[in-house]
This record gives sequence, C-alpha cells and structure tokens, in this order.
Amino acid sequence: MTSTQAQEARRVPTFCYNCVAGPDLMTVRVENGVATQVEPNFAAKGIHPADGRVCVKAFGLVQKTYSPHRVLTPMKRTNPRKGRDEDPGFVPITWDEALDTICGRLKAIRETGLTDDDGLPRVAATFGHGGTPASYMGTFPGFLAAWGPIDYSFGSGQGVKCVHSEHLYGEFWHRGFTVCADTVHTRFVLSFGTNVEVSGGPCAVARHADARVRGIKRVQVEPHLSITAAASAEWVPIKPKTDAAFMLALVHVLLHEAPRERLDLAFLRDRTASPYLVGPHGYYLRDPDTGKPLVWDTASATATPHDAANLTPALEGRHTVGPAIERGPDDQTWHHDSTTGATAFTVMVEEMRPYSPEWASGICDVPAATMRRLANEYLDHACVGETIEVDGQTLPFRPVAVTLGKTVNNGWGAFPCCWARTMLATLVGALEVPGGTLGTTVRLNRPHENRLASVQPGEDGFMVARLNRTGRKTWEAKPSGRNAHRTLVPLVGGSAWGQALGPTHLAWMFVREAPQDWPRPTFPEVWFTYRTNPAISFWDTTQIAETIARMPFVVSFAYTHDETNHMADILLPDATDLESTQLIRIGGTKYVEQHWNHHGFALRQPAVPPCGEARDLSWIAGELARRTGLLEGYNAAINRGAGGVPLTGDGYDHSLAEDAEHDVEAIWDAICKAASADLTQGRDVKDLAWFKDHGFQVVPFRRLDWYLHPTMVEQGLRYELPYQERLFRVGKELGARMTEAGHTWWTEQVKEYEAIPRWHDFPGFWVRSLRDAGVDPEDYPFWAVSTKSMQYSAGNNAGIQLMHEVAENVRGTGRIVLNAGTARRLGIAAGDRVEVRSPVGTTEGRAEPVEGIRPDTVVIPGQFGHWATPYAKDLDYATLNTVSALSLALTDSTGSGADVALVALRKVGGTR
Amino acid sequence: MTRFVMVADLRRCVGCQTCTAACKHANATVPGVQWRRVLDMEVGQYPDVQRLFVPTGCQHCQAPACVEVCPSTATRKRPDGVVVIDYDICIGCDYCALSCPYDARYKVDEPTWAFGDQPTAPEAARFDKSKLGVTQKCTFCVDRIDSGLARGLTPGVDPEATPACVNACISGAMTFGDLDDPDSAVSRLLRENRHFRMNEDAGTGPSFFYLWDKEAGP
Amino acid sequence: MTAPPRLTLGHRPRLQPFWDVRAACNFIGGGTGTGLIMVAAGAALVGGPWWPAALVGFACVAFGLGMVFLEIGRPWRAINVFFHPQTSWMTRESVLAMPLFGLGAAALGAGLVLGADSGVAIAALVLAALIAAGFLYCQANILRAVRGVPAWREPALRPAMLATGLAEGAGLFLVVGALASPTPPAWSLWLALLAVAARGAAWSRYHRTLHRAGAPEASLRVLDRMAPWVLGLGHGLPAVLLAMALALPPTMGSAAPSVMAGVAGLLIAAAGWTAKLLLMTRAAATRGFTVPHTPVRGRGTSRPSPAPPGWGL
Repeated sequence: MTSTQAQEARRVPTFCYNCVAGPDLMTVRVENGVATQVEPNFAAKGIHPADGRVCVKAFGLVQKTYSPHRVLTPMKRTNPRKGRDEDPGFVPITWDEALDTICGRLKAIRETGLTDDDGLPRVAATFGHGGTPASYMGTFPGFLAAWGPIDYSFGSGQGVKCVHSEHLYGEFWHRGFTVCADTVHTRFVLSFGTNVEVSGGPCAVARHADARVRGIKRVQVEPHLSITAAASAEWVPIKPKTDAAFMLALVHVLLHEAPRERLDLAFLRDRTASPYLVGPHGYYLRDPDTGKPLVWDTASATATPHDAANLTPALEGRHTVGPAIERGPDDQTWHHDSTTGATAFTVMVEEMRPYSPEWASGICDVPAATMRRLANEYLDHACVGETIEVDGQTLPFRPVAVTLGKTVNNGWGAFPCCWARTMLATLVGALEVPGGTLGTTVRLNRPHENRLASVQPGEDGFMVARLNRTGRKTWEAKPSGRNAHRTLVPLVGGSAWGQALGPTHLAWMFVREAPQDWPRPTFPEVWFTYRTNPAISFWDTTQIAETIARMPFVVSFAYTHDETNHMADILLPDATDLESTQLIRIGGTKYVEQHWNHHGFALRQPAVPPCGEARDLSWIAGELARRTGLLEGYNAAINRGAGGVPLTGDGYDHSLAEDAEHDVEAIWDAICKAASADLTQGRDVKDLAWFKDHGFQVVPFRRLDWYLHPTMVEQGLRYELPYQERLFRVGKELGARMTEAGHTWWTEQVKEYEAIPRWHDFPGFWVRSLRDAGVDPEDYPFWAVSTKSMQYSAGNNAGIQLMHEVAENVRGTGRIVLNAGTARRLGIAAGDRVEVRSPVGTTEGRAEPVEGIRPDTVVIPGQFGHWATPYAKDLDYATLNTVSALSLALTDSTGSGADVALVALRKVGGTR
Repeated sequence: MTRFVMVADLRRCVGCQTCTAACKHANATVPGVQWRRVLDMEVGQYPDVQRLFVPTGCQHCQAPACVEVCPSTATRKRPDGVVVIDYDICIGCDYCALSCPYDARYKVDEPTWAFGDQPTAPEAARFDKSKLGVTQKCTFCVDRIDSGLARGLTPGVDPEATPACVNACISGAMTFGDLDDPDSAVSRLLRENRHFRMNEDAGTGPSFFYLWDKEAGP
Repeated sequence: MTAPPRLTLGHRPRLQPFWDVRAACNFIGGGTGTGLIMVAAGAALVGGPWWPAALVGFACVAFGLGMVFLEIGRPWRAINVFFHPQTSWMTRESVLAMPLFGLGAAALGAGLVLGADSGVAIAALVLAALIAAGFLYCQANILRAVRGVPAWREPALRPAMLATGLAEGAGLFLVVGALASPTPPAWSLWLALLAVAARGAAWSRYHRTLHRAGAPEASLRVLDRMAPWVLGLGHGLPAVLLAMALALPPTMGSAAPSVMAGVAGLLIAAAGWTAKLLLMTRAAATRGFTVPHTPVRGRGTSRPSPAPPGWGL
C-alpha cells in the first residue's frame, strides 16, 4: 500500500466492548469500502485511560466481519430433531418469513399468557459475557421491556466463569460489584489469582505496567505462573481452593501478632461495625426503644446507640449491657435485662485466633514464614495515619490492596475469601480510599452509572441493601424464574441482573431433573440467545448441549453456526461489531479497572455496511415489536431509557413518537442528543452525525469519585463489617423457609451464612463430591483449573484465525499445562496427547510441561471444545468445561461454583 | 545522523500479542507471518521460576547478517539504520532468513488466506503479489516513517510516523525513536534504565534494546 | 476444512524452515562434484583416466545448482545472485560457477575431440579443479556465515565440509573407476583412504567442538544419533574395504579389488551425502533467544538466564 492510498483511507471512530474490561476506544481503517485495520483512537489520548488503545481481541473484528463462515441470511431449521449429532438442516429464508415465524410464536404466547401455570415466563433470553451484549444489542432491551416478563435464568457461564461471590459480597459491603486495587496509587498488592494482566483490558494493563515501573510490589498467590503472576514481583504457588486459609492467616497475623495500634483503629471505630455489641445469641445488642445496635461508649461507660452524638465507642472488649434486645430471625426477639456483649471486633479477634500461618501452612502448602512475611509487608506498606489530597479534599492514604480472581472468588470458600480480603482492607483503613481496595461499579444496585449515588442510608447505620426477602410472608416460595434466584439467594437481589447472577446452572439442571420436592420447571416456549454460547462456556457442556436440544423453540442471533445455535429453530444474522450502531456510556469508574478522569458517551457505528442480509439489531428489535403489536411499548421503553439514556430530562425532550415507526438512525440520533444534553446539561448537544465524526463526547469526572469513602463520611455510614449479623439472620430465615417447604437440598448452602466466616475443608467439598459419585478420590489426584487468555476471553472468537495465530505465541494456549517434573514422572513429553478425565467427562489435548505450575495442578486455558463452530472445531483444543460438574453439592450459598475439578491425567499417545 | 531503534521495556510487557496483531493489520501479513511477535519464556525451576515476555522481530542490526549474506543486494540498511528488503530484487533464496540470529524472516511462496482457499475481502484488497516467493520481515513500518517525515512528523512521537506495534502496545512497553537524538524518548529510556540486547554474541549490533531494571540511583 | 495450521514459532530453537532437500542437494552435488573434479584433475596429471570422472563431477555440480534453482522463490530472477560479491559467499559461489563450467566444457570438449591426454584438456581441467576448490570453499563458507543456525555457524564445520567434498570426490572416483576398470590405481585407493581419514577427523572434531561450544539440543540430538552410523558405515567400513583392496594381490581378471573399491567409494560418498542431508534438513535448529536478565517487575528480582532455553552444553 502506498502512503497516498493510506491518506485516502477513512478512519471510523468506534469502540470495542467485547469484554467487561471495556469499553475501549478505537478506529477502523476503511479502504475502498472495506474495513482493513483496527487502530487506536489517538484522539482519546489523555482521555481514555489506555490512550485510545484496544486489546488484541479487537483486532479480530475485521476477520469477524468478513469471515466466510458468517450466517448472512435468516435461516430456519428443517430437521425437527435436535441434538449434537443431528444436522439442523438450516435453509435460508427471508427476513419476513423469519420474523413472521418468530412473531407468530410470540403472539400465540401473548394470547395464552406471558407466564406458565407455575408463574414462570414463557419467554427466556440468554446473553453472553458480563452484560457486555447489552452494548451491542441496540434497542433490543426496548423490545424485551415492552414484552413483559422474560426469564434470564439460563446462564452462559456466570457463577463459574466470573468473580461471582465478589459481585454479591463486594456490592453488599462497599458497592463493589467488581473490586480492584487503586493501582495508580498503591504500593503493595496481594493478588489471589487475579489475572488482571489478561482480563483487565488495556486500562488495567497500562495502569499495572506504570505501577511496576514506579516500583509497586505485587505478590501473586496462585497455583500456576499465570501471566499476571509472571508480571508480579513474587509468585506464591498455593494449593487450589485453599486461598481462604491463606487469607484468614493474614488476618490472624494482623489481629494476633501485630501491635493493635498499627491497625487503623479510628477507621474501624467510625466506619465499620466493629464496636457494635454482639449478644449471646449472636445478634447485635440493640436499644430496646429504637432497635438501634449498641456500642460501648468509653466516655460514659454505658451501652449507647451507635449513632448517638459525641461517642467514643470501645473497639474491643466485653461489656455488661442492660437492658437490651437481640433481634433474631423471623422477628424473634430476646430481651436482656442485663447481659454481656462482646464488640464485633472482639468476636472477630476470637474467631481468628486458630488461624495462624502455621495452621494454614499445612492446608495451603505454603510456608508459614511466607504468609507471615506477606502479612507484615502488607502492614508495613499500609501507611496507617497518612493522608493524601485528591481534588482538594484530604483523604486517608493506604497504598495496600488485596484482589481476588476467578475460582478464588466463586464456589465454596469464596465467602471467607471475600470477607477476609475486605477485612484486610478494613483493618488498616484501606477500603475505598486512595491506594487501597476499591469497588468499581454497581450492578445489583442503581443507578448503574454512579455507584456513589447508589449509597443511601439503610438499617443499623449501614448503606441500604436490597436483599431478596426471607420472611415467612415475604419469601418467594414459588420462584418467578427458573433459577429461583429470589428464592434461594437473598444477596443477589431481585433485578434482572440479580436473575442473571442467580444460580443459573440450577435452571439448566432443574429443567432436566429437579429435586424430588421441587416442581420441575417448564422449558421456555421461546428462548432468545445473543452473543452467547452456553454449550461451550458452562460446566459440563455435554449435558448443557443436551438440555439446549430440548428447548422447544430457539431464536439465535447468529454470527456463525455454533454449538448453541446448532439447536436453534431460527437463525437471525445481526450486524456485527463493525457494522452496527449504538451509543454507550464510557468513563467514570467501571469494571475491571477502568478509572477515568472523564465520562461521557461513545458511538459504535457501521464502519462498513452489513455483509449479506445481516441487519442492525435495533432494526430487528423494531420489527419484532411492530409485528407483535408492541410498537408503542417499545418506543415508550426507548423513551424511558432502554437505548441507554432516557430521552427526556431537565431542559430537553428528544423522545420518540410512541405510535410511529422510527428507523435506526432516527432512534440513535434522538439517543445521541439526549445523552449529550444530559452529559452537558444541555450546553453542548451533539447529534448522531457529530458522534459519527468524532466518536465520543466526554466531560471531566472527579477523581474523588473513584472512592466511596467521602460518601460514607458524608452520610455518616459504616461498612457492614466485620460481623455479618444481617446475613446470619437471613441465613437462619432462609433455612427455616426451606425446611418449612420440605426442601432438603439447600442445607449445606444455608450453613454458609456465618456471622464471621470460618474455614471449612473447602478442597474437601470436591473430594466428597467424588466419593458421592462413587469413585475413589485417589484416582483423581490432580486439580484442574482454567485460566483466561486475553486473545479469547469473552470474545466469542474461537472461530477467528487471527486470534488462533497470535494466541499460539502464548504458552499453554489450547494445551494442557502441567508441571515439568510431573510430566517426567508420567512419561509425558511436550506435545504428547494427554487425556484429562473426571467422573463427568474427558478432554484431550497436547501436553505443555512447564516449570511454573504446582506439581499437583494442571491448567487448561480458555474455553474450547467446539464441535460446530467453523474453524474452532478444527482447533483440537482442550477444555475444562467438559470435565467440571454441574452439581448442587459444589454450589455455594450465592449460587456459584468454582472453575475447578479433580481429575486424572494420562498419556493417550500421538503427538502433533 | 539518525539511527532508529526500538526499546522494549520487559517490566511492562505482558505478552498479550496486541503488537503482533496490530503489525499483522498494518502490514497485511498473511497467516503464519509475524513481523512482530512476543516470546513467552520461562527461566528457572519450580518453584523458583520466572516467566517473561519478549517482543521480537527484525532487530535492524547495525551489522546485519542478512545484508552481508544477501547475494542480490535486495536487503540493505538505510542510513537511518532501518534494514529493508527490495521485493523486486530479492530472489527468495532464504539465505538471509537463515543468517538472521533472530528468526525474524519469512518467505511465503503461495497465496495464503485466513479461511481456506478464498481470500476475505480485506485480504483480497490488500494482497501483494510482490511478497510471494521473496523474503519478508519487519520494516519498522518504514512507509509510516517516511510519509510521516515527509509531513514534518517525528517518528516515535507522532503516531502517524510511528510503527504500528508501538502505537498499539497497551502496556506502553514499546518505544521507537532516534538513538542519535539525545532528547528522544528512546535515548532517555536507555540512559535511565539498565538494558541488554538479545543474542548479542551473534555480533550483529541489534537496534532492539530491552529494558530490565532502572539504573541504580546516585 | 482442514485443521488450522499449528505454528512453530516460539523462543526455543526450531528446525529452520527454509532450506530443504533441494538446498541440501546443492551442497551434496557441489561437494561431490568439486571433489571429483579435483581428483579427476589429479588423475589427469598422473596420466590416469579422468574424462568420465570429470563429466560426472561437472554433472554433480550442475545438478546441485539446478536444485537451488528449484529451491529459490523467484528463479527467473536468479541472475540477481551475482549482485553482491563484496560479502556474500553465495554470490561468490555463483560467480565461480561460471568459469568452472566454462573450463569444464573446454576440458571435456578438448578431451573428447583431442583425446584425454591432450595438454589443452588437462590444462583446462586443472584450472577447473582450482576453481572447483574455490567453489567448495565458498560452499563451506556459505554455511559458516549463517548466524541463525549454530550447527552451521560452528567454525569447525568449514574443514569438515571441505574434507567431505574431497572424500566424496575421491569415493565417487573409485565408483566411476570401478565401472570403467577392474583394477583401481593404488594412488586412488590411498587418496580415498587419506580423504576418509581426514574427513573422519574433521567431522569428529566438528561434533566435539559443537558439544563443547553449546548448541541447540535438537541439533546435537541429530548429530549424536548420526555419528556412529556415519563414522562406522561411511568411514570404518570403507577404510577396511580400501585396506583390503590395497592388500589383495593383483590377480589377473579378478574384479574383487575394483568391487571393494567401488563399494568403499560409494559408502564414503553416501556417508557425506547423508551427513549433509541431515545437517541441512534435520540438525539445522535455529539458535533460539538468549535473555541475559529477567526483568525486575516492580520490586521483584531479576535472575540471570544461565543458558538459552533448548540448548545443550
């Protein structure tokens, strides 16, 4: 290409939001009408935290656009039998036929009722990774809103492939749906399996690279030398699923070995429930008149409500209190004329006493000295007492953080991990302050775009928490969704996000076979799938695929043929990333580590026209609405904000006429104007044409708003730590409800509601599940874990050649990674074909012996095992997902399970 | 004088291959050809083991082995240090590719496409017959350098005049510029940090410097 | 669709993907051919039969160069190979090929027209032999200049390449002689014995030196596996056969010495061809990448990398 031609080429600004670490800004070079290159958006330098750069995945979008394997016309299934071994017999049809077929079904449902006899929605929808499909589905949410009840119960990997427990506990404790280090200020990070250099996106990668050069110390505790471990100052190989013991040992050192004054006692006293007095039944001692938790005021030597003026609460000790009440489950109340109350802090100290590093060492297979050293280094770096000025306000400066990764952060053991991590921050006052451990965004609370605004005073001096009800009269005994998230998981809340974060595997399990005392849910009559492939991305994908095959009518927005839409009845080709229009929010703070100094909106626009008959999803949504008679509701939903922002606000009204059809451009023009007006308070309103030229519009975002601390201080709130009185009570209630209803299969989960989390033999849960399956655990001596790959994670791009090509440069891609010494012992050489086997299934792949992995662990990166997706099915890549079990026994109380399995390993011959 | 060099900060690099992909886009290289790539290496034995990521490609050596052995003079070093190949002269003997101590050269004899027998639209649009049967490698994006310079831009500073891999690198690991300019970013980085060059015993004087630690303070 | 290609890139030494059996044939044909031309010239000087051997020698060189023509990506631009005599041993080799074939044609033509004992033919052949020596020297240096393949870069390979060219020539001279005459001249047997001894010494030295200097394990593995076979079948056995041929009393009409010499010659030549074929196509691992220090990540530590990954020392 000559430079003249290059100059004639057009650069189209757009964004990539393939994974939750985005969105990231970029441009697409278009030459003679063909998209040829992805490049950074240099105009975003100094605005986007990664200066307008996108990660490697975005470079796959050109091949994604032009892949010969794309579905480019609507198609219908001609083979009524469904199954992996059945040829769907897809044949092209017109858009009219496709839409009429779907809408015929939908209209029939509307006539019979939107929910079935059990109250379950007859229409279900599943979207892929981390909510990111919402940034590609245009106005489809408007159609879903107009429709009415939709079941989002059928997951595509959430709960096992995400940091699920952190989502729930993080948001509960400090509005941290995801949690990260304040990397730009911190000096010491303990990272338990957080693979931020892989899944953190360009913003996190840039921040951590800067921090390394600045001289941060990051210690990676993880069974294998992941990319993040590699880029850390120190790697501590820990036995899988024992992180909780490690972290409890760190808490023990801080509480039992460090001088008390080295902790941030003021923070603990004023910003946490540490001084709250706990009564003999394990509940807060409360003022009989007001019901407020009591603290021991050292000045007056009396028990006083926590929010009384001029208090000097005691952080520790046992104090005689009376009169007081304790409020237990189901409004049970104990009245005490005089009783002894221990502060929550003291209860914690006592509970943590057994968890010495020496105790943990045997569990984690990590020397006690290492844990003790790290605890002390953490303390040494905490800078308790120091402050920093941010945007003119003085804040505590605590440059230490603890972060948790997938598998640490879901399934059994995740609750103590989340608690211990948050307590490590809390003990030194490093929660939500510069340098410390921060939440990034909220999803279970609103507004999504401003986590600080989601903080409002709630009960007992804490921020409000909207848990699913567990009272006798308020408990949702009859689930409104197939995964029963409101019934089983109080912490997840009742929103659509709550449903998507419920125990989504239960939906898959129960439609096949429900527990005896639980009515087997119906299959939804229509199931929409978009940017998702649960037949690949879940546990026990063989079983998932079989279950999908039983879905009566599946509508898949299809980019290529894949393992899930193999069972579809209708395939709809939607315009892909470089072909479609949508305005989304950017900036502020959001997961995984996006902390901007700006916020605003960015446009995705067609760099090139859609290939073939592919149509913009907003057009499809409008047609579905029109053909099902929901046009007005659809337009109304868009006016309310289904396209990302409400179209009316203070001083502006760009709303759409509700009784008219609007083309895609008109809709997004209105959304652009409304978003811009909202952003600039009407001062600088930009339309779609402007966004097409400029790509994004931003205004400054205060760095102060990265931190929750000022909001907590302003509202006089305390973090609901360390003592989990509310969860303890909720657990008792939930247990009672399940017992009353005769359900015995959630008993272990209910036990997890502990006021102070304790160590249980978490690895033993997996060992027991083997015994329960009737096999000898000795036959499965290896822990198999997964790890993400930046090239593939959340990209739904295993069928893209470029990703395969560049990912092959990264060790372990598609391979089974094992310790070199183990490999020698088993006679396995690099490239040998090996089988990984669990009682659930097997996977085969090429061995990659390395030094950087524990001898008892194997790693299978990514999620593969494709059998239908073109190109991907020929990769011959191993996958953990066919060996990990869909299992109630391996489901924790939040409804999540860990991405881990006990496996056997053997050479099966052949190399390549 | 000008001597263009690349500086890769190994403390920053996470081996994500974004530079690899960006290079493939910028230079329309065919499947399997990676003018820029990142090595994923391991040193030591469990548990005392480290893993590092090393961007590599043509090192634009001061005494390039490829130039020395090339029988056709297709490979030559420009005055600014960039080693280039004239695809119209190269006979495709591969002698240079073998002589390169950095495994940085490729030859493709037949049209090769991402998905089977037919090119995708961008592949068809950017197909360059002159690259068939000849040796190819990283050019430091010499077209961008030259067109940028012609427009008064500074390579390594202005993105339009800077190699695509540097522009795309998400960790800020890669820096490009003029080593003979003491004020350039590359000169500053090399002054302030400890660095090495790979396979230095090959004696070719590579122009690819790797930072591994900061210089000890005064 | 066929499975996506599995790339072989990486940081460890890998088998060079560029030169295959066609390129190896250039070194096989060039070495054998130039060796044979030199031996033929010797034969001519001592008044022995040389014409058939010389013809085969030139044909071998031509065959090798022909295979190169098939190897290169742009054969119709082959003329460009002459552009860089200043530093490129490949250009130099190609430049020498011109007078080599010119003199070869003159020698063979004069021999055919004027007779094998023609002074012109012999003079042309001797000159051609000098050029052939230069050609062989160029070939040895072509490999030596390859910095990307440690097994070729090893300086001890140069004498080994020269020795094997001579040995292959001497060996093939015996084969050609055996076809032409039942009684090989003793000098040719002695020459072959000397050549095979020299080659054995040179290859052994090369092998030892490579081990000592360090090289990719992949290269060493191939050479280690090859060594006993090449030394035994390509040196020991032919040496015994040659000694026996020398020791046998000349018996009128017996073809035994000739057969023994021919077999010995073929073994000598075949050993050289095998060694070169394996050296070029199996033992030619790239050098991989050496990183003297790992980076200091934050407040981590650096550690030196004691040896390039995939190297044997």
